Amino acid sequence: MSDRRWLLPAAAAAATALLLVLPFYLGTFWLQTGLFAMSAAIGAIGLNLLTGATGQLSMGHAFFLAVGAYGYVYLASDSGPHLSGLGLPTPLAFLGAIVLAGVAGGLFSPIAGRLRGTYLGIASLALIFIGQHVLFNAESVTGGFNGRDVPPLELFGLRFDDSPELVVLNVPLGALERLWFLGVALLVPAVWIARGVLRGRPGRALNTIRDHEVAASVMGVPVARYRAGVFTLSSMYAGAAGALLALVFRRTVPDYFGMFLSLDYLAMIVIGGLGTAAGAVAGAVFVSVLPQLLTRFGDDLPLVAAPGSGGVSPAEAARILYGAAVVAVVLFLPGGLAGLWTRLRATASRHRSARPLTRLEQEEQPV
Amino acid sequence: MSTFVELVVNGVSVGAVYALIALGFVIIFKATEVVNFAHASLLLVGGYVTAVLHDDIGFLPALGAGIGTAALAGALIEVLVLRRARVENHAVLAIVTIGVDIMMTTELTRRIGTEVLSLGDPWQSRIVTIGGVGIAETRIAALAVASLLITAFLLAFRYTPWGVAMRAAAEDGEAAALMGIRLTRVSLGAWAVAGALAAVAALFLTVFPTPGLDRSTSFAAMKAFPAAILGGLDSTTGALAGGLIVGLTESLVTGYQGQLDFMGRGAGDVAPFLVMLLVLLVRPAGLFGTRELSRV
Amino acid sequence: MKRSARGTRATALAAAAALALGLAAGCSEKATGGSGGTDAQGVKTGPGVTADTIRVGVETDLTGVYAPLGKSLTQAQQMYFEELNAAGGVCGRKVELVVRDHGYDVQRAMSGYSELSSSVIGIAQFVGSPMVTALKQRITSDKMFVLPNAWSTTLLGNQYIQVTGTTYDVDMINALDFLTKQKGIKKGDKVGHVYFEGDYGESALNGSKYATEQLGLTLVEQKIKATDNDMSAQVAALKNAGVKAILMSAGPRQSASLAGVARAKGILVPIVTSNSGFSPQLLQTPAAKALLAEFYMATAGAPIGADLPPVRKIADSYAKKYPGQPRDNAVVNGYTNAVIFADALKKACAAKDLTREGLVKAHRSSTNYDGGYGTPMDFSKVNEPATRKSYILRTDAKAVGGLVVERDAAESEAAETYKVPAGT
Repeated sequence: MSDRRWLLPAAAAAATALLLVLPFYLGTFWLQTGLFAMSAAIGAIGLNLLTGATGQLSMGHAFFLAVGAYGYVYLASDSGPHLSGLGLPTPLAFLGAIVLAGVAGGLFSPIAGRLRGTYLGIASLALIFIGQHVLFNAESVTGGFNGRDVPPLELFGLRFDDSPELVVLNVPLGALERLWFLGVALLVPAVWIARGVLRGRPGRALNTIRDHEVAASVMGVPVARYRAGVFTLSSMYAGAAGALLALVFRRTVPDYFGMFLSLDYLAMIVIGGLGTAAGAVAGAVFVSVLPQLLTRFGDDLPLVAAPGSGGVSPAEAARILYGAAVVAVVLFLPGGLAGLWTRLRATASRHRSARPLTRLEQEEQPV
Repeated sequence: MSTFVELVVNGVSVGAVYALIALGFVIIFKATEVVNFAHASLLLVGGYVTAVLHDDIGFLPALGAGIGTAALAGALIEVLVLRRARVENHAVLAIVTIGVDIMMTTELTRRIGTEVLSLGDPWQSRIVTIGGVGIAETRIAALAVASLLITAFLLAFRYTPWGVAMRAAAEDGEAAALMGIRLTRVSLGAWAVAGALAAVAALFLTVFPTPGLDRSTSFAAMKAFPAAILGGLDSTTGALAGGLIVGLTESLVTGYQGQLDFMGRGAGDVAPFLVMLLVLLVRPAGLFGTRELSRV
Repeated sequence: MKRSARGTRATALAAAAALALGLAAGCSEKATGGSGGTDAQGVKTGPGVTADTIRVGVETDLTGVYAPLGKSLTQAQQMYFEELNAAGGVCGRKVELVVRDHGYDVQRAMSGYSELSSSVIGIAQFVGSPMVTALKQRITSDKMFVLPNAWSTTLLGNQYIQVTGTTYDVDMINALDFLTKQKGIKKGDKVGHVYFEGDYGESALNGSKYATEQLGLTLVEQKIKATDNDMSAQVAALKNAGVKAILMSAGPRQSASLAGVARAKGILVPIVTSNSGFSPQLLQTPAAKALLAEFYMATAGAPIGADLPPVRKIADSYAKKYPGQPRDNAVVNGYTNAVIFADALKKACAAKDLTREGLVKAHRSSTNYDGGYGTPMDFSKVNEPATRKSYILRTDAKAVGGLVVERDAAESEAAETYKVPAGT
């Protein structure tokens, strides 16, 4: 145990350092993919707190992402002839967006608190449909079908935009490079806070609620308060992910925040591993990068399938692989990618190769 | 007035089709406590097989083949995936069906490609006029077939050994197993029946007035979610009621959207979800669902 | 929970590697300046142009809801560029298409665009106005020349984005002109308009609103969603209102359902759809009978079955190259857009400027472009559609592509006075 105390921070620091160096090398395509993955990771951590750790199935995650994205745009934009906005300083708008998403989650929690499992899952599906309906119709706030432009973030005089030009170490840093640093600056505390929550008292309380709600309340866990709290926290994570996503997109469109986005997030936490921050990050990276890889390097396959042959296009291959990954993980890798990592290490250290880890032990493993 | 009657008839008929799909959800949920998100793809399988075969072997045999294939697909999902997944968390089982759905839907839509497939139904676009109200024959057929199937199913559920086994399994799985009921067989049967019902629903979702089966057909299966939840996920009566409520709400809100401007345009799609939320606020387990009681 | 020494070393190694990477950042490939220069013939070049190839991007939908459209467009464009390369290419270079499929998903379109943004000179096909709208800012800052395959007015007003042909609103105005002049619609009559939510439907609605006001008609609006497949409720509402004609700005499936329900209920009024509201595959379904009665389309492009020699040539070579594939109007549209793009390349080459700025400048200098495929177009006005002339087509089971010309391309009085709301 003695070396563990410095090892983990060291590894984390190394990973962070690597993340900070990457934008000096990566091209636009990979930067953007990486940013999507970072935003997805933040959102997935939030969902993992709710669905993974507390066992509350939510299919409405995309709605809270939308609140974050549109919240930022509304708070940061100036009012125009067609569109209204509050014109707040952008960092304040960013925080405001996160708070707004949290409030939305808090408002939904009376409903959430009354419903169990599947009922909650499908009730939260209603959020998506109603939310998108509002996005399409509340044109003065959301810009309707065509969406709204996203004002670039400005922090301590640094604009997260292509202009004014900024060159560091001979590398021109455009909007995506700058946003990359913002993404890292958001992801690191997001992981850190989630780990804190999961490892401490609240985490144990949440797990007890997931495993046996009645038992939890018998043991004195204020179930309703914890459920409302974790719903709010998870929505705030989604809000941050949405606002970051809006900055990357530079334009928000309602079409994007549909049911498939919610399903993607559920897939991420299952593939990555339920109930841990590392699992959420691993799943988010997997789900965001896989289709990009296949599309990018699928050029050898004929893009337009020859008549009659009906070949599988890279995009379709990506979808099928993605679905297969969800199934395969549940069947063969309970614990997901993060669990695989833990198991591999356990095997490597030859301590308990004979016996698989119990769930409690898995959760204790540092990841 | 005739518009109102027309909208109600349409709503009831579409609602009956939604009820068929919702019934499938409910059966699977009762037997295995899994929410089946792969239902949309079962529907597509049934429709696709019917559409491909009807030219060669005629409509009814093709429909039979479609129903059989969808039932088989349902059973295969149960055997190959769900039976093997050793997870206790039902959310995970629901998510695994999402994975199955993605795979199947992608492959089927690839096969359907750019076509709009006709299922070769005998009703075509004929309309019967009853007392000044024009109703498509397909609507009447849908209503008749759905009512027949639902009644048959409810009777079977009550009186056949399979139905008794299923109810027992839903009531208390362990006790049922101790009494000699083979739970695996019960859940296999549930998935097959749900697949078959989805295939019948596919037929009625793609006949006139919709142009035919294409890649967007599976979206309609989404409507069955609010239907199943509204009625109560573990209640077969609830599925019927939920389907009708969703069908009626959708039809009326769309038909009167001119007068319902305050809801925003295109409200017909969201209205069922609004109704669902309202019902859940009052009755968290749906209209006919069993309330889980836990007092501490 | 003891840790092996190997783990410790690995971590230390990773940290050291990260540090080294950091120091080496100055040598990153990205540190080199932008590409570009001047070739041996004195032609200035920019992104997407090398000594022997010109790379042209295609952002299309091959797997999403508009896959039928995307497939026809892409195959037609590949056919044209192959013909062009066989004839020697442009500026002594071969033209290479880089096809990216976004499946009608904004995020994937953005990733695809990011990849294209550094590697192609322009984009000859961009399906989906939500995607183009979402990327407008970046298209402008990249000076990327884009030919979108969407005709809403939101796409006007940007010099890098060229909407070819008319916009949806102009088509609807000309359609109403056709209905009043040739179909006996009179002052005071009611006309229904069923349209998709979003910029396609709303652009079209702008036109029908304007024209009904000009012509003294009353408009009955019915907004629908792309997922609505059953038009019974809409038909019931329109029947109730007693409309004398129906405009349709939605997808082919919705047109089929609308026509089917309306005809079955004995409503035989003419139906005119926007150019995205019909596909010849529908004539193989039970809806065919309904679609062959009083069903029209208003569009700027000549149909693939048109009696124009260049169009006939496209139809014939397409059938030869892709036997068994549906020949729809998207084939002509994709092909002619490819021609417009290639002509801009040729012009830019003649001006010895094959950079992105050079390409847009060359393209925008055409005031009376006529490739022989129907109506001439003016590309110099950024805030105006390239033409205000629309064909009125009629469905015909025997014609290639299922459509024949009912009324030749013409600009109605109402279309002439109409002020196009560019950019909104």
